[in-house]
Amino acid sequence: MKITKKFFSLFIVLLLAISILSACTTSSTDSNDAKVGSLDPNNPVTITFYSYSLALPTMKPGMEQLIQEFNDTIGKEKGVVVEGIADQTFQQFKADIAAGKEVDVIQHVFSTLDNSKETLGFKAYEDVFPKDELEEHLKGIAPNALELGKIDDKMYGLAFTFSTPIMFINGKLFEEAGLDPNNPPKTWDEAKEHSLKIKEVTGKDGFGLAPNNGWVTEGIIYSNGGEMLSEDRKEAKFASKESVEAIEMWQEFYQNGSHAVGSDTELSEQFMAGNLGMYISSTALHSGVVKAAEAGGWELYGAGLPQFGDKPSVPVNSGSALAVRADSSEKNAAVWEFIKYVTGNEGYTTITSEIGYLPLRTELAEDPKYLKGFVDENPLYKINLEQLKEIKPTTIWPAEYATETSTIFNDAIIKAVSTDAGVSETLTEAKNQINKMIK
Amino acid sequence: MSRLLEDDYQSPLTNETRVTKKVKRKGKRRKTFKPYLYLLPAILFLGVWMYKPLLSTFFLAFQKWSMVPGTIPEPVGLENFLRLFNTKDFPISIENTIFYTIGVLPFSIVIPLILATVTNDMNGKAKNVYRAIFFIPMILAPVTVSAIWRWLFHPTNGLVNNLLLKIGIIDDNIAFFSDPRFAKWLILFMTGWGLIGFSTIIFSAALTNINKDYYEAASLDGATNFNRFIDITLPLLSPTILFMLTMSILFSSQFTFAYIDILTQGGPFGSSTNIYYEMYKYGFSNLNVGLSSAAAMLFFFVFGIITLVLNYVSRKFAFYDN
Repeated sequence: MKITKKFFSLFIVLLLAISILSACTTSSTDSNDAKVGSLDPNNPVTITFYSYSLALPTMKPGMEQLIQEFNDTIGKEKGVVVEGIADQTFQQFKADIAAGKEVDVIQHVFSTLDNSKETLGFKAYEDVFPKDELEEHLKGIAPNALELGKIDDKMYGLAFTFSTPIMFINGKLFEEAGLDPNNPPKTWDEAKEHSLKIKEVTGKDGFGLAPNNGWVTEGIIYSNGGEMLSEDRKEAKFASKESVEAIEMWQEFYQNGSHAVGSDTELSEQFMAGNLGMYISSTALHSGVVKAAEAGGWELYGAGLPQFGDKPSVPVNSGSALAVRADSSEKNAAVWEFIKYVTGNEGYTTITSEIGYLPLRTELAEDPKYLKGFVDENPLYKINLEQLKEIKPTTIWPAEYATETSTIFNDAIIKAVSTDAGVSETLTEAKNQINKMIK
Repeated sequence: MSRLLEDDYQSPLTNETRVTKKVKRKGKRRKTFKPYLYLLPAILFLGVWMYKPLLSTFFLAFQKWSMVPGTIPEPVGLENFLRLFNTKDFPISIENTIFYTIGVLPFSIVIPLILATVTNDMNGKAKNVYRAIFFIPMILAPVTVSAIWRWLFHPTNGLVNNLLLKIGIIDDNIAFFSDPRFAKWLILFMTGWGLIGFSTIIFSAALTNINKDYYEAASLDGATNFNRFIDITLPLLSPTILFMLTMSILFSSQFTFAYIDILTQGGPFGSSTNIYYEMYKYGFSNLNVGLSSAAAMLFFFVFGIITLVLNYVSRKFAFYDN
């Protein structure tokens, strides 16, 4: 009897202990002290950096180089080791945070920043980094870029990689079709004409913009005078006459036989294989596209986002911000060193020349010490720097339903563009669904 | 002392039975202890990895929580369930779960049954060569399989499109995985293709257990191949068929998951998603563990009922050759 009793009580205690242990989570300590701790080069602090650029073949070498450069210079000198972690689907960092792992710096997209701030314990820069140093560092970064990561007047993300849409052009296909790649189409009507011509002469698709691109779409809506969300972000407004017209234009284009079909990945593969005349995507693909053009033996040209008639086009930015959630003063100090480096002059020079994103410190493009030589060699960047004037930020969907609402919007666009569904009905239905959630 | 006195008043017979009872009870105790000891590892593992998460799921279905360490679940009553039914892709995910479950049956039962029976009559090496060929898709990693199929069905650079264009069946390239007419059929087909090998092996194993004498007797009586299949093979395979039916129904959603995640992410516009993928999205992409748990809880009950029904059917219709 004694043995069984003992055994059972032991068993129960064991079960309880296990359940308590597995329910137990590391609690995060909040520090509102904006002073950072001190670093010791002999005893380096390791911080993790979750980056989607590390997961994409076109960007990986550049991002790895950036991290390596930091570790070899400032990191070594001050005692910081940055460990890059590839995060292709923007889910690894969430899963790892949920699992209680150390996730210190995250390359985060803008559209769901508000949501992550609420749910993942992101810190505001003002709360964790020294005020004077922060102000000093932000000087020289394009002010509208700084606004992007601000929520309720606090910076939860510092704009990091940044690009506008660009129309990559395959010079060889243009010339075969008797078109001039130095004089690319400016309006959507011209783009359609060019596209049909290329298809007719070469048999290859003339134009490509993937319905699931996720961000260029907003630029098309804005370019025709449409809107995404109301100012107070309490109402979706993308089903207006202007938006519907814009998407109807794209639907007609997509289905006219000369537009490439498929997902964004498939379209980029098609363009890089030399089988597509024009392809709208992010400048982030630049380094990959340049290599593909060299390998395929064709010239790469470029143009901005086409416009509707004589209305100037309004592109949105794609890209990411750096969000931080370090939880000790030493870590804050380490994170701050890393952020200063990668968003500083050296960092942006590497980001632009090795990956393809725009330098948010725009004067670097004029500085012979940094990027002037590169921009002169790659005139495509001038198009993008030019587009920065008209640029609008991508929509930051309201916190609680951010992922659901952005999915509803993107799915509605895919349905409207790639099927025979009525554009107006599809967008209105999606708008109503979203409004039911966010009002 | 009192004991002795008591004993004096009792008849020797009752005294004897008491003593033996005591001894027996002691032995019984030792016996009851041992089986629990043997069960302990299993109970521990099941407890930690199955029952605790199961109970947590039931608890979390009524909470709002993002799983971030340091935050506390907040009770919200039935809100998660209401939100679940209003979620855009939930109804379609149920519909697709049924589609995948039923669609996979030919690949898990009908085709393997034919393949197993046909290869069973083969002699020597041919039998094993064929079975190895059927089984290979099963042991390929879904990620590898997806990559290969993605290239095959690539809208411009893919073999399938090029072939169809050359033959003249289509005029324009088809983006198979971005087209709601094809995406879920391809996922179904890929899952089925992988499953065929597994089922064939199971059926083949069951076939070798059938006594050859039945076939010989039937042949002597003039039964054709087909008759023998219907009257001997099928009834004797019925337990295996019912087992595969249960497996196939319960696991088809899991088998499709990897392909959905890699090839379509549930798209285009949610048309190829299933309940497993939605649960994963709610939980690990939207970090809404409450919603995910609510879906899991519904799923648990629905599939629990299906399992009970299948168990009943299996008991009723399976025929054992005893």
